[in-house]
Amino acid sequence: MINGKDLKVQDIGKESGKQLTKIDSLKPLPKPYDQPGMEPPLTDPKPEWSEKYCTSLDGYVALDTFEKPKTKEEEDELVRKFLSGLEKMLSAETNKGILQPLMLTLDYCGKCNTCSDACHIFEATNGHELYRPSYRAEILRRIIKKYFTKSGKLLGPLVGADIDLNWETVARLGELAYRCNLCRRCAQTCPLGLDNGMIAREIRKIFSQEMGIAPKPLHENGTVKQLATGSSTGMNKAAFMDIMEFHADDIEEMVGVRYDVPIDKEGADILLIHNAGEFMAWPQNPIAFTIIFEEAGLNWTLSSDFIGYDSVNYGLFYDDGQARKIALRQQEVAKKLGVKKIVIAECGHAHKASAVYADRLTSAEQKIPVESYLPLLRDIVLSGKLDLDPMRNNFPVTLHDPCNIVRQMGIVKPQREILKAICPQFREMTPHGVNNYCCGGGSGFAIMNALNFGEFRNKVSTRKKFEQILNAFQDTIDDPSIPKYVCAPCSNCKGAIRDILEFYEATEKYNIHYDGLVELVVNAMRKFDRPFLEFLRNEE
Amino acid sequence: MFLLILSYVSLFAFIGLSIYKAYQYGHMPMHGRQDLYPIPKEKGKGHYGGSYFEETDWWKKPRETSLFEEIIDMLKEMLFIKKLFDNQRPLWWLSYSMHLGIYCLLAWTVLLFVGAGTELSGIAMNSGHWWATIVYHLTFITGLAGALMVAFGTAGLFIKRTVVSSFKKYTTPQEYFNLAFIFAVTASGLLVWINDPGFDYGRNIARSMLTFSPIEADAALSIHIVLLGLLLIYIPLTKMSHYVGKYFSFHKVLWDNDPNLPGSKIDQKIKTAPVVKPQKSWSAPHFQPEPPKTKEM
Ligand code: SF4
Ligand code: SF4
Repeated sequence: MINGKDLKVQDIGKESGKQLTKIDSLKPLPKPYDQPGMEPPLTDPKPEWSEKYCTSLDGYVALDTFEKPKTKEEEDELVRKFLSGLEKMLSAETNKGILQPLMLTLDYCGKCNTCSDACHIFEATNGHELYRPSYRAEILRRIIKKYFTKSGKLLGPLVGADIDLNWETVARLGELAYRCNLCRRCAQTCPLGLDNGMIAREIRKIFSQEMGIAPKPLHENGTVKQLATGSSTGMNKAAFMDIMEFHADDIEEMVGVRYDVPIDKEGADILLIHNAGEFMAWPQNPIAFTIIFEEAGLNWTLSSDFIGYDSVNYGLFYDDGQARKIALRQQEVAKKLGVKKIVIAECGHAHKASAVYADRLTSAEQKIPVESYLPLLRDIVLSGKLDLDPMRNNFPVTLHDPCNIVRQMGIVKPQREILKAICPQFREMTPHGVNNYCCGGGSGFAIMNALNFGEFRNKVSTRKKFEQILNAFQDTIDDPSIPKYVCAPCSNCKGAIRDILEFYEATEKYNIHYDGLVELVVNAMRKFDRPFLEFLRNEE
Repeated sequence: MFLLILSYVSLFAFIGLSIYKAYQYGHMPMHGRQDLYPIPKEKGKGHYGGSYFEETDWWKKPRETSLFEEIIDMLKEMLFIKKLFDNQRPLWWLSYSMHLGIYCLLAWTVLLFVGAGTELSGIAMNSGHWWATIVYHLTFITGLAGALMVAFGTAGLFIKRTVVSSFKKYTTPQEYFNLAFIFAVTASGLLVWINDPGFDYGRNIARSMLTFSPIEADAALSIHIVLLGLLLIYIPLTKMSHYVGKYFSFHKVLWDNDPNLPGSKIDQKIKTAPVVKPQKSWSAPHFQPEPPKTKEM
């Protein structure tokens, strides 16, 4: 096994069948997790996994649908398919939506390594070469050089065309594409404006779009299920209507007031689309939205139409075809209802998918405008319509900035204006805003738990976020009687943060909680005689 | 005559090939949005990374952008390599030395032509005329400082990439060659300069180019001119043409957040884009034209 410092790009295809490298150390966490025994150790993959899956990169398995080739023919076929996908990636005919940015990143990298220090995964592993943002990009660049350029064919290693493309290279590269959260923090620091996150996504696309290989939670149980049933949760229209039937009762039970939820209201101003996972995992979130929108007197509706009740679009993480189908379907639903705008609720990647990714898919007349719930919520909170008492949120609160909403959409201030108005002990993480770090659950990691991938997320990709959370609460961390709140206004980020708090037992030991932003707003409403946040209710 | 022709050819090749490169990038199909904030042109919001998405009903509000802010940001990057300065200072010293040296040499080249023009108009450089004195000294300063900085920067970068493992692992033989090539051109220029500290040779070349007369050169100067000519032709063919790429990657990719609204330029582009039925498509089963559709369960 090659250690993290010695690993080179040419090693990617070497030592076939054996694990190439492993994480040899992790960056220490801040107090009180700086003591030995405070976190579960890293584990090795089970030996039997290697018979079926690719455990030969770093021992973790993200591609749970990949099956190792058993014969020489299957090995050759894997390489052939990969090359065919690579060719399509480079073609204007099959990949025009990204060709210009892609070619810029492939052509111009100055190998200055400036992007490396920006990456939380590289940092968490104390600079393990495998996780350097430019490592996977350089492998891809060299393969392209070798197989698709005249200079590479003619001059070979002199121009960097020196990677052995065997099936192991392909398999490992597929895994490596899932050691990146696609957070694009690295791209922010690149002096040439290049984007290694995009390269990871392009590799994922080759695997999915050409080779039919993608993590089950994203593809089979994600977009495929969503395009078959209407939601990545598998919730069809009837199930959604069932949930909605109890929604008003649930609200009444929680706050003592009944609110009816508008569904399929034609001609409403707003179509609000939630991440359907919220209805299952965090029902208090859609409940809080209903309360706020009704109290603010908005003319809004939810949709029960196919895909109209689930803003999720995992295609964004790995497959343009799936992303496109889902995004266009959401637009159709809005048009059918005749709403004036689509408002995306607390889900970061859904924000980006609907407002940014889908923006240029059709001509402007065919689109219903999309906006984030954040400016609307800011306007409501600052208008005074809700009669809010900030002292009801008088505990330390910090804010996580979802990459898709902040770094990739430029929505920075509204959430801060809200928190400053309703949380007297609000404090920022360092760094924050557009310079934030990913929660570690980005690009699908939050829902990928097959085999040992959850360990990679909890120990490695979320490590920086956990460090930031601990640092934000250093003044009160020693006092478990004080509840601390991580405001994570995004379903995926919430999922990742829920898992870190559980994994490190931070709620149990240090009274650190997490939830969204709308929950804090409702918790501050004087109208209700009881707290809305669960941990406060439990305290009473 | 060969040297004169090479000088013309290399200069035009440099400009022509760079323009061709820009043309190639400029004519790639319109890409999907890749916004990455902060985007400096967002008026009043660029400094903290905000955008029009911070407004309710943003599409109804006038889109306020500031070309000035964008240009300022670009200049910071072009003239100062700010991102490298902020994020990787040790490398910046070497890289900036090389780049600033190149900028000085560009100014020096212009000054050589100004000097040659001055001489052609009858004012000798050593005439004591105030204009000639200024041009002479500026030429001397930009030429010498530029050459020294480029030599220092390229040598430093070459050594750094040979010694520091995290750079060495990623550097290809061609990339070493590129640095060595620039160093060789500068070093050969400095060798000529030792016997001609006032850069008269440079003005003579410029004069020859302006008057289409043969360049007179000894062996050292001939080598320098040939190397420089080859470098000028070589640069746009390699990733050293990142002066082209950088414009596109920032201005046309990361900072291109113009929304697709009715009547907008983007909308026009989408509407007028040629509709070509692709001959090829991706091969995965779910990517085939008629995927099985079960609408509801
Ligand atoms: S996109 Fe994010 S996770 Fe991926 S390499 Fe860049 S900084 Fe690291
Ligand atoms: S910062 Fe940009 S140019 Fe430097 S190594 Fe990273 S991608 Fe390449």
